[in-house]
Amino acid sequence: MVSVRALLALLVAVAVAPLVLAPFFLQLLTEIAIVGLFATAFNLLMGFGGMLSFGHAAYFALGAYAAALLSRRGGVPMLLALAVAPVVAGLGALLFGFFIVRLTHTYFAMLSLAFGQIVYTVIFKWKSLTGGDDGLLDVWPPPYLKSPMAYYYFVLAVVGLSLWALHAIVDSPFGYALRAVRENPRRARFIGVNVRRHQLLAFVISGAFSGVAGGLFAFYNGSVFPDFAFFTKSFEPLVVALLGGVHSFFGPLAGAFAFKVLEWLISRQWPVYWPLFLGGVVVLVVVVLPQGFVGLLGRWPWARPARQG
Amino acid sequence: MGAAGAAGLVLQTVALRKHFGGVQAVNGVDLAVPPGDLRAIIGPNGAGKTTFFNLITGDIAHDSGAIYLGGEDVSGLPPHQLSRRGLGRTFQITSIFRRLSVLENVQTALLSHHRRHYNVLASARRLYRDEAMALLERVGLCAQAAKPSGIMSHGDQRRLEMAIALASAPRVLLLDEPTAGMAPRERHELMELVAAIAHATGLTVVFTEHDMDVVFATARRITVLHQGAVLAEGAPAEVRANREVQRVYLGQPAEGGH
Repeated sequence: MVSVRALLALLVAVAVAPLVLAPFFLQLLTEIAIVGLFATAFNLLMGFGGMLSFGHAAYFALGAYAAALLSRRGGVPMLLALAVAPVVAGLGALLFGFFIVRLTHTYFAMLSLAFGQIVYTVIFKWKSLTGGDDGLLDVWPPPYLKSPMAYYYFVLAVVGLSLWALHAIVDSPFGYALRAVRENPRRARFIGVNVRRHQLLAFVISGAFSGVAGGLFAFYNGSVFPDFAFFTKSFEPLVVALLGGVHSFFGPLAGAFAFKVLEWLISRQWPVYWPLFLGGVVVLVVVVLPQGFVGLLGRWPWARPARQG
Repeated sequence: MGAAGAAGLVLQTVALRKHFGGVQAVNGVDLAVPPGDLRAIIGPNGAGKTTFFNLITGDIAHDSGAIYLGGEDVSGLPPHQLSRRGLGRTFQITSIFRRLSVLENVQTALLSHHRRHYNVLASARRLYRDEAMALLERVGLCAQAAKPSGIMSHGDQRRLEMAIALASAPRVLLLDEPTAGMAPRERHELMELVAAIAHATGLTVVFTEHDMDVVFATARRITVLHQGAVLAEGAPAEVRANREVQRVYLGQPAEGGH
């Protein structure tokens, strides 16, 4: 439903943004791209697989720590470290997902939360490796990517490629079968789909791309902390996806934009009230706009003919 | 596993048993379905039809006995493997992919049947489109291909489920009360469709049904279950004339008002 023209306009906008925006906004956009990828990866499970994970921060953190550790302790170049991040996060998702997909609904969510907290605790306690509460500092990109503008373009490229890959997955036979599993697992089994295996594969893919987001964030932030794995971080992609709309591929990306801009507007003035405000917005969106902000697009007159076609 | 069933049978159960607590829901049922059969399984409420069905489809594990599909022992196999071995089914409560379009419902079943469902590289949109449209044409849903399937009428959703089941090219198709919740005229239309498809493709069909008009009009052979066991089996005329059947079942006031 997102037209080619709209995508091109978006591409041009993000490409020229650094030329007109102050560095602060460039960083905001960088964060939006990373959070957008994290939430889109999360939504592969939630929106397309019908699986609600409360522990996705674990895979974000595994990616972030893998990249940071390789770079800081292993002296591995950033690009290689970033390439390993999704592998580590994906292996973590494979290990935990093996148990998690055996459960459904609330129990699925609770076990994913539990594994997330285990990752958090391990990172927090394993001081010799992870630095514990102090985190790992000085995780910076190489000189040629160190400027906010250069890193912005780099993040844009990696996030763009990742979103393209995720979109292809959603659109692939695997993605069709995943939606079938979401809609009706019993029926899906009787067209020959091994439902658990399908869910596990989706879990691993989602975890791996969350790891990409984590790795990108590590080098953006210049440091990593155990908080990355904490359960409050797990709610971020959920809130972002809900804001933007879980039934649309680009919903979480739109949600990331809304989330980060609102956060900037509100928490700059009234930092104490940001969670209150966010809670209010989420309630409003869930009640009034169950399709999220993206759902508004369909209500615009010019969008109607395309929908009916 | 291991022992082979009788040759020449598409579906066979041997001494199939299942109890729930003290209730022997299925008590040693032998069923032999030859290729091309159009078999109705009937019986009063509580006769064990649904349990028997769920044992065959792997939804419930049986206590003892064996199930053969095309002579191969399939006892204890999970549903997705039964599906791969040629067991198709529809559910008592309409079971489709409601938020997918009518076409996508059938396309997805075809993708899985052709074992493409792990492919993440291709675009699924155009895959097996023509085959899916042909199946939709067969059940009379071509005109609604682009609709979200969940907004179709109940009867059309039933037809769609039939197309989904057919997409897996089953050897035997199990229909669990296929006309539940439909108006009498719709019921006959649907079962005529089933009979026509079975006749045209040589597909074997086994169905349970409450509506005796539908059963006697459609079935080639009828198996009557009573208290978890086979009470009678034969052609419709034989079953209708069977005194035992009349006593426990047909003579009773018609049910199905719920």
